[in-house]
Amino acid sequence: MPSTGKLRVIRRVNLLISAALLAIASISPAFAGWGMPEPITDQAKRIQDLWVFTLIIAVAVFFAVEGALLYAIIRYRKKSDALPKQTHGSTALEIVWTTIPVLIVITLFSYSFIVLRDVEKKAPSDALSIEVDGFQFSWQFTYDLARLGQGQAPAQEGTFSIIGTAANEPTFVIPVGEPVEFRLKSNDVIHSFYLPNFHYKLDVVPGRDNRFVITANQTGEFTGQCAELCGINHALMRFHVRVVERAEFDTWVAEQVANKATVRQP
Amino acid sequence: MTSIAIPRPAYAERPWILDWLTTVDHKKLGILYLYTTMFFFAVGGILALLVRAQLAVADNTFVNNDAYNQLFTMHASAMLFLFIIPVWAGFGNYIVPLQIGAADMAFPRINALSFWLIPPAGLLMFSGFLFGGASDVGWTAYSPLARSSGVGLDLWIIAVIILGVSSTIGAANFMVTMFRMRAPGMTMFRMPIFCWTMLVTAVLQLLATPVLASGLAMLYIDRNFGGSFFDPNGGGNAILWQNIFWFYSHPAVYIMILPGMGIISEILPVFARKPLFGYKAFVFATMGIGGLGFSVWAHHMFTTGAVLKPWFGFMTFMIGVPTGVKMFNWLGTLWRGSITFEAPMLFALGFLSMFLIGGINGTFSAAVPVDFAIHDTYFVVAHIHYVLFGGAVFAVFAGLYYWFPKIWGRRLDERLARIHFALQFIGFNLAFFPMHLLGLDGMPRRIATYSESAGWETLNLISTIGAFLIGVAMIPFIINVVMAFLRPKDQPNDPWEGNTLEWWTTSPPPVHNFDSLPEVHSERPLWDLRHGNAAH
Repeated sequence: MPSTGKLRVIRRVNLLISAALLAIASISPAFAGWGMPEPITDQAKRIQDLWVFTLIIAVAVFFAVEGALLYAIIRYRKKSDALPKQTHGSTALEIVWTTIPVLIVITLFSYSFIVLRDVEKKAPSDALSIEVDGFQFSWQFTYDLARLGQGQAPAQEGTFSIIGTAANEPTFVIPVGEPVEFRLKSNDVIHSFYLPNFHYKLDVVPGRDNRFVITANQTGEFTGQCAELCGINHALMRFHVRVVERAEFDTWVAEQVANKATVRQP
Repeated sequence: MTSIAIPRPAYAERPWILDWLTTVDHKKLGILYLYTTMFFFAVGGILALLVRAQLAVADNTFVNNDAYNQLFTMHASAMLFLFIIPVWAGFGNYIVPLQIGAADMAFPRINALSFWLIPPAGLLMFSGFLFGGASDVGWTAYSPLARSSGVGLDLWIIAVIILGVSSTIGAANFMVTMFRMRAPGMTMFRMPIFCWTMLVTAVLQLLATPVLASGLAMLYIDRNFGGSFFDPNGGGNAILWQNIFWFYSHPAVYIMILPGMGIISEILPVFARKPLFGYKAFVFATMGIGGLGFSVWAHHMFTTGAVLKPWFGFMTFMIGVPTGVKMFNWLGTLWRGSITFEAPMLFALGFLSMFLIGGINGTFSAAVPVDFAIHDTYFVVAHIHYVLFGGAVFAVFAGLYYWFPKIWGRRLDERLARIHFALQFIGFNLAFFPMHLLGLDGMPRRIATYSESAGWETLNLISTIGAFLIGVAMIPFIINVVMAFLRPKDQPNDPWEGNTLEWWTTSPPPVHNFDSLPEVHSERPLWDLRHGNAAH
């Protein structure tokens, strides 16, 4: 009896779908924000919006195609020895299913191009600028007292650094609500400066001057790590950033300066 | 129906072992390729299980960091260079001459050389474990890190160069074979689609592999003869290596998947009892992927800050278009067909449903700002495995189940095949789907361990369970093959009601392949014979 057989298949598919939905629902609270960690910068927010837009199109395409596939598998199972009609193709259809993806692709490209242009804007000349040195296997964050960003005290001279080790992960501090530039340097191998909450990473390449800018929009402490294989302790190149209000940042800087050990005079 | 008689050469009998060691028969070489590559698939799989065992729980010390870096490097190297790329050469060797109605490849001795370069190269690559450690810098061997790695990397470089030679001369052989040795009546646009994908793959190999070889030679000079091609301190450029490497290795991804697409395109029409929908569109889409494949390499390098991002982003998006055309043509083939679900078809449908995900999750990396987030995370690991396992490996098994009766004259058991498929399908998704979420949450690739506070433990454990389930899935497959070998050869010429010429001759075929050839009027000569041209 083919009809009950078909019913059984449909019931099975239903069961599979509900199981899948249940599985997705059960893990979804851990992945609010459409799978991405919380964006903590203006740039990260833009990237997350692009991610969500792309994801919606991707999921729609996935269900449309996977649905058509499942439908074909169930609907066109062999029922008799009669040969199916031997269709060899259709130029009209080929044009349709070439054109539609091209349109989707152009849309996605245009949107990602706009976001790319925005997140790669250069830093204003008076922005806080931090030199990030990646080395095997930790990070050094160097602040220039003459480039401490908006609202800073009259220009001072000198620098101070936060230096980490694989065992003692470094924590650096940035103020919320203003642009911060990172200048990435390496003298050994390629590293990659990656902070998931920035939704951003940039490689730290020997011989290259790579920079990027973020504007943090909330305070808190966040963790990042090296994202480019750099040797035996690659997994231990973690670092932390503390995003604080400007006043707290200034206090922290004053403390660092007071602690002469970490200040290097020019 | 007239047929064309083929002159039969005389063969001298040789001892069994000498015969296999000196054979220039494309079928025997094809079988040697398949045995060798499946062996390295098993080795690469065991390495993958060790990797997954280490990552199963946070702060694990199952293997140390040094061993871990060797494990994942050799896992990828074995799977890519010693399994996927040569396994297609294995299928191609056995099937292409049969499908085009030829007696052998164009250059049988070069063909033997192509194969015999592989086992020593594989041994060389793995011999690093005996000399202070195998390569530990990832299969991408980024410089300057690769400048200071141990001697295992030198062995790796030499092995990959040798494999590149094998691949390059094999590509030339395939091209000449398909251009010059097709049966009477078989125009290029009547050539089976698997041959077409092998042809485009051969072109990619011929153009791309020498570029990698030059890069590897430069790296070897940097490491051993005081060169500084990739050393900024000596006037070199660290990014240069990545450009050379990916100029080969992105087309290589298509080298790894196009023949699999070809196999799927052979199987779907047979088990849906319809011709491949849009044969020519499919051929052009294959060429389109091959051509575009050379213009997207720098999408692996967006986060270097050293490439023209909008251009490579756009081209990467564009490559989704011919890939989509293929997907729609496969659906069109199934549509209004009369589908049965023998083992080859199960794996082909598994390919369609999983490769779809591998196609879709790749487009995220084309959206450059999104790539900033997911690059070098487990999201990308998920992507490559949906393409290379969900795609290529499912196609390998589809091909094995499909051509097993032709190659070995016996049929594999359907029930064991279904168990194999179910376990592999579930295990695969458990292993690799969670990696999307891990990557989005910020877990980088190639880290030997992660801290408990990162919150990645549950998903990693699920992934590890899935990986071991894939391992378990191989048990019914191995039992199936062993049991088949214990049975006598009993397969007819054409057990599946196939479309193409390999099903015209006996299973397995005689040394000279064909006693006669049917006339070829379309890309489905055997269908035409069964149903007459009226069935078109």
